[in-house]
Amino acid sequence: MISVRNLYKSFGDVQVLKSLSCEIEKGECVVIIGPSGSGKSTLLRCMNLLEEPTYGEIWLDDKLITEVDPYLHIEAIEKSRTFESLTSGGLSHDEAILKIKKDDLLHKSEGSEFSKYCRGIYKENHLNINQARQRMGMVFQHFNLFNNLTVMQNLTLAPTKLKLRTKQEAEEKATELLNRIGLYDKRDEYPSKLSGGQKQRIAIIRALCMDPEVMLFDEPTSALDPEMVGEVLDVMKTLASEGMTMAVVTHEMGFAREVADRVLFIDGGDIAEEGTPDELFTSPKTDRAREFLSKVL
Amino acid sequence: MRFINQVIELLTSGKYMGMIFSGLRLTVLISLGAIALGLFLGTVVALVTISKKNCFTAVPKAICKVYITIIRGTPMALQLYIMYFVIFAIRGFPQILTAIIAFGINSGAYVAENIRAGILSVDIGQTEAGRALGLSSVTTMVNIIIPQAIKNVIPAIGNELIALIKETSIVSMIGMYDLTQAAKIIGSGQNMASYIVPMSVTAVFYLAIVYLLTFIIKMIERRLRASDKR
Repeated sequence: MISVRNLYKSFGDVQVLKSLSCEIEKGECVVIIGPSGSGKSTLLRCMNLLEEPTYGEIWLDDKLITEVDPYLHIEAIEKSRTFESLTSGGLSHDEAILKIKKDDLLHKSEGSEFSKYCRGIYKENHLNINQARQRMGMVFQHFNLFNNLTVMQNLTLAPTKLKLRTKQEAEEKATELLNRIGLYDKRDEYPSKLSGGQKQRIAIIRALCMDPEVMLFDEPTSALDPEMVGEVLDVMKTLASEGMTMAVVTHEMGFAREVADRVLFIDGGDIAEEGTPDELFTSPKTDRAREFLSKVL
Repeated sequence: MRFINQVIELLTSGKYMGMIFSGLRLTVLISLGAIALGLFLGTVVALVTISKKNCFTAVPKAICKVYITIIRGTPMALQLYIMYFVIFAIRGFPQILTAIIAFGINSGAYVAENIRAGILSVDIGQTEAGRALGLSSVTTMVNIIIPQAIKNVIPAIGNELIALIKETSIVSMIGMYDLTQAAKIIGSGQNMASYIVPMSVTAVFYLAIVYLLTFIIKMIERRLRASDKR
């Protein structure tokens, strides 16, 4: 479903993600855990390009949503001037490619053959980011409901503006979803009148109104009062049981244990360990995971 | 006692009131024109200054920056002189247009900064939420950010408009017959021979205009705050 390949992200001098690769399969619920500052949220935000990756590619099904990263395409490297000069300097094919990858030797201009090849890959596979985002729902830590719109308008704005539904269809869908979470009576309230838990549940169904294929949750319960965490987690559990593809960054280890199909433990900008919740929580293989889990469990 | 008599004399004299009202008419015309131009210009400049820098926006952004710096850094009276004696020193060019353009351009720079501050004061999460749903940056701006920004900037814009109305009184410096000029001419006339009376009456007129404007702004603000708890 989502494929992250060799993702690098730095903010100024701070390198947050280093050569991170992962796959999220259809129908899978992947929970991402890790110490704060490890890059969990950045990874999630890179998946729908709220953060622009520094290097690396992100694919949604068979469509590329980032720029082409030439280091991921050996044919591209082979067409570069650097490769040419290295091989003519006596290095073998494999050595040259390894050296280029290792020392980050590709420049901006690597000859017309190289640029043409990269452009070709881009043209063939590229998917417009706005279209990609329509297929990926996102839920934020701070809910981010539109403050100037009522609940119903929050739910219907995107589907109607993007002409996916008529106003009436959008309202029917919104009504159905509001009924499911038991907040139909709040449809004409403004977000400022709602509790945190209500806001977050509405933020979840706002994303669902777009019929997304995958849902990204960025610490959805971290800004909530403890008593409201349960109601939000319940909505997410229902979603997971219905087979929604989900990527969840969270500190709720109970949720991870119960719902996740796979848990990624991220530390220092890369995946330090991954496995089923059972494997990871009961017998973590790496020291860093063990140390982290002993603190949070 | 003499003061009151003279006020009554001024208010009942057709000639004086005619002068005051023709001055008032000019003040209002210049103010309305400059407000319209200033709001339009300010909005455009604000949107350009907050846009992302790329090869298409680099030049407009630089122009806007220079515009704001120069206009805010020089006196209004000087700008009016330059407009009147240099840029629009064309025979037959309507004076009132010169004034509207001068005040509109001046006001635009201040309004632009107010609007920019208003847009930046809207939480970045609102933009992110809109974009994450697949909305384009323009749709997000128009439907989500600007409605919230307007609420935040109304008080500041109101301030700017009030200042603008009062500032139009300097058009008398290029010989235009506005409310202030009317008061001055009446005061220096032989019959009245008093400045305090026409000046006080004129002050009341300015107060009334500003009060009316304040009232309208409050009304707009109240309506826009419907979605707030406050």
